Amino acid sequence: MITVTLQRDKCIGCNYCTEYAPQRFVMSKKDGKAVLLQSRERKGFYTAKAQPDELDGCLRAANACPVKIIKVNS
Amino acid sequence: MSRNIEVMAPAGGFDSLMAAVQGGANSVYFGVEQLNMRARATMNFTLEDIPEVARICKENNMRSYITLNTIVYDHDLSVIKTVVNAAKEAGITAIIAADQAVIAYARSVGMEVHISTQVNVTNIETVKFYALFADTIVLARELSLKQVKKITDTIREEQIKGPSGRLIEIEIFVHGALCMAVSGKCYLSLHSHNASANRGACIQNCRRPYKVIDLEGGNELEIDNEYIMSAQDLCTIDFIDEVLDSGVVVLKIEGRGKGPEYVKTVTQCYREAVDAWLAGTYTREKALQWKDKMEQVFNRGFWSGYYLGQELGAWNDSAGSKAKLRKIYLGKGNRYFSQLGVGEFLIETHSLKVGDTILITGPTTGVIETVVEELHTDQGSVEKAVKGNLCSIKLDSPIRKSDKLYKLVSASE
Repeated sequence: MITVTLQRDKCIGCNYCTEYAPQRFVMSKKDGKAVLLQSRERKGFYTAKAQPDELDGCLRAANACPVKIIKVNS
Repeated sequence: MSRNIEVMAPAGGFDSLMAAVQGGANSVYFGVEQLNMRARATMNFTLEDIPEVARICKENNMRSYITLNTIVYDHDLSVIKTVVNAAKEAGITAIIAADQAVIAYARSVGMEVHISTQVNVTNIETVKFYALFADTIVLARELSLKQVKKITDTIREEQIKGPSGRLIEIEIFVHGALCMAVSGKCYLSLHSHNASANRGACIQNCRRPYKVIDLEGGNELEIDNEYIMSAQDLCTIDFIDEVLDSGVVVLKIEGRGKGPEYVKTVTQCYREAVDAWLAGTYTREKALQWKDKMEQVFNRGFWSGYYLGQELGAWNDSAGSKAKLRKIYLGKGNRYFSQLGVGEFLIETHSLKVGDTILITGPTTGVIETVVEELHTDQGSVEKAVKGNLCSIKLDSPIRKSDKLYKLVSASE
């Protein structure tokens, strides 16, 4: 399993994460920020457990994020 | 000549908003949430702050504008509606917009629209087009004042009016950071870091020094000025008469990412300069004094931008600010004894001496700058307070727990 974290309040809604990891990120139509799917929130940080086959996409998303708010631990 | 000239200040937070009030601004502009050109900075208000910002502005007779001027994607459309609706409900004066989706929605709910400099309006036909939607248009920063004048003259001659029925008002930037690219057309940050400047995420590649390396021999070329892309800051105070003669009505100050002391000083200088011009007492000597004053706060060195037409670009030779004064954080406000007129502060770092010039900033306090004449701690009257001391300073206006205390020292210290 891998762990993906999103510090959501700092998201600027650029859409990159959903391009690289569409199975894990979608854009909220409500507030225009990224949503980390199947995640739990704690103090503004959203964390999700994901399958190892998502690692590549999530790493690309983390790398592409212009405000560096995505972290991936494998 | 009787004309209302509006000096517009940036507000990156409540402290800068209060600083704008103290500086005598006629209006302020600010970002809400992420859809503005300073999305990266934490210098933005939240949706919940809008009523309070509107209240402060109304109380101080200032117009208020929300910047909603990034490029817009489909997933942003509902946020735009939320922000515009909240702005309308709170009585915000207008939305500064660039994208047609924002312009169209704001107009559909009867919200006043201003066209952002991001749209690069550079000619009268484009002014006529946007006059269908907007009452104020910010011209591109790359025009000369002659070109600006031609546009304002034509607006009067042809009576080009906005939705409000008033003649279109022309706004230009008069002070602050300039982009090395045509505003809104820079893709450096997007290419290097996926961080689109046009989504407010600019990482400011242009503010860094660069080397030129010859790929065949690997030789590094020496460049006299390493900061080859870092434009100096725009400053128009020494030719504000020419700026106003061009027929502009709104003077905008850049700097939502800058400190409240910058906002207060720069706003005050431009307000005084405009008032002097209106009263017929504006002189170059006075202008130099204002310029001196503005050199004390954040700046990258000044040039006249493209307005005078003859210069192609003035580049910076160092990183960061050239301000003559530097602020050192000392500690925070504790309480105010109103009967004594004394503010108490906790010194958390460095030290404070009698004779030091201090700066106090905060979300309600705005900006206070003064010289310490007396200093008291639990030891009684002292010459110096150090880390850990609670010290009292005589102050005419109240301070609060949310205030920060700095001392101002020469930048070379």
